Amino acid sequence: MKELFPRKQVMGFVFSLILTAVAVTVYFFDMSFEVGSTILLVTAFVQAAVQLVVFMHAGETGDKKAIYTSTFYGLIIALVTVFGSLLTLVWAYY
Amino acid sequence: MKINHSQPLEYSTEHNRFSILGFWIFLGAEIMLFGTLFASYFVLVDHTGNGPVGAEIFEITPILMETIFLLTSSFTIGLAIHAMRVGKQKAMITFFIITLLLGMGFLGYEIYDFFMYVHEGATIQTSAFTAILFLTLGTHGAHVTFGLFWGSVIITQLIKHGINYETANKSFIFSLYWHFLDVVWIFIFSFVFLKGMM
Repeated sequence: MKELFPRKQVMGFVFSLILTAVAVTVYFFDMSFEVGSTILLVTAFVQAAVQLVVFMHAGETGDKKAIYTSTFYGLIIALVTVFGSLLTLVWAYY
Repeated sequence: MKINHSQPLEYSTEHNRFSILGFWIFLGAEIMLFGTLFASYFVLVDHTGNGPVGAEIFEITPILMETIFLLTSSFTIGLAIHAMRVGKQKAMITFFIITLLLGMGFLGYEIYDFFMYVHEGATIQTSAFTAILFLTLGTHGAHVTFGLFWGSVIITQLIKHGINYETANKSFIFSLYWHFLDVVWIFIFSFVFLKGMM
């Protein structure tokens, strides 16, 4: 039974639960927009990284480079789209 | 077919390796797809017109349940792949079934959420905010729904053919897809729900 629950994955799961619990504090405690947003940004991106490395085995073969390149490419395009839209369509009007 | 025994089964042929790499490239495109949805969401979130704002319709309990279901299912599909690598077919199929059941639980809560939103007067036509809310959540929910069908088909193949280089490859690719859905949900959970209720 024990061999079915590798330590690395169990720890990854526990860590994700902790990160989720930390993220939920922004709902239960009163905090400023800046503090809340920072907590959410950190917990979300760390949790995404845990999934990528611990559960998706992103770095275990010779294709590691190509996998990380295409993932980061997608991520950069997504971030440019999100923050570019915010910049031109929301923040520019304040 | 050249089978390389120094690699895990799912990577053991050249075809298998390329299938996995190709799926990662597809996931890169999926990141961009959800990026455009998040961009639209952040632009439109305050355009609520005469409709409700997020904080008025979001409920913490179902959202926490959905998060726990999806997070746990992401863990169990990881355990399924681990069981596959140590050659435990029965455990692997069990973890696969648990994963899909948790996925169904997630979907059940999400459908309940959608009913509640509509009940409270927030339909897809109410405002720019509700339109992009339903579109973003719906795109993710549609992915989960597709994953439930895909996963069921893989389970039947596992029962029929056991663990071989083909089923191992398919199962591994499915696990990538499922983890990815969990990643997208983390962002929806953080930046749609928690931020909306902050």
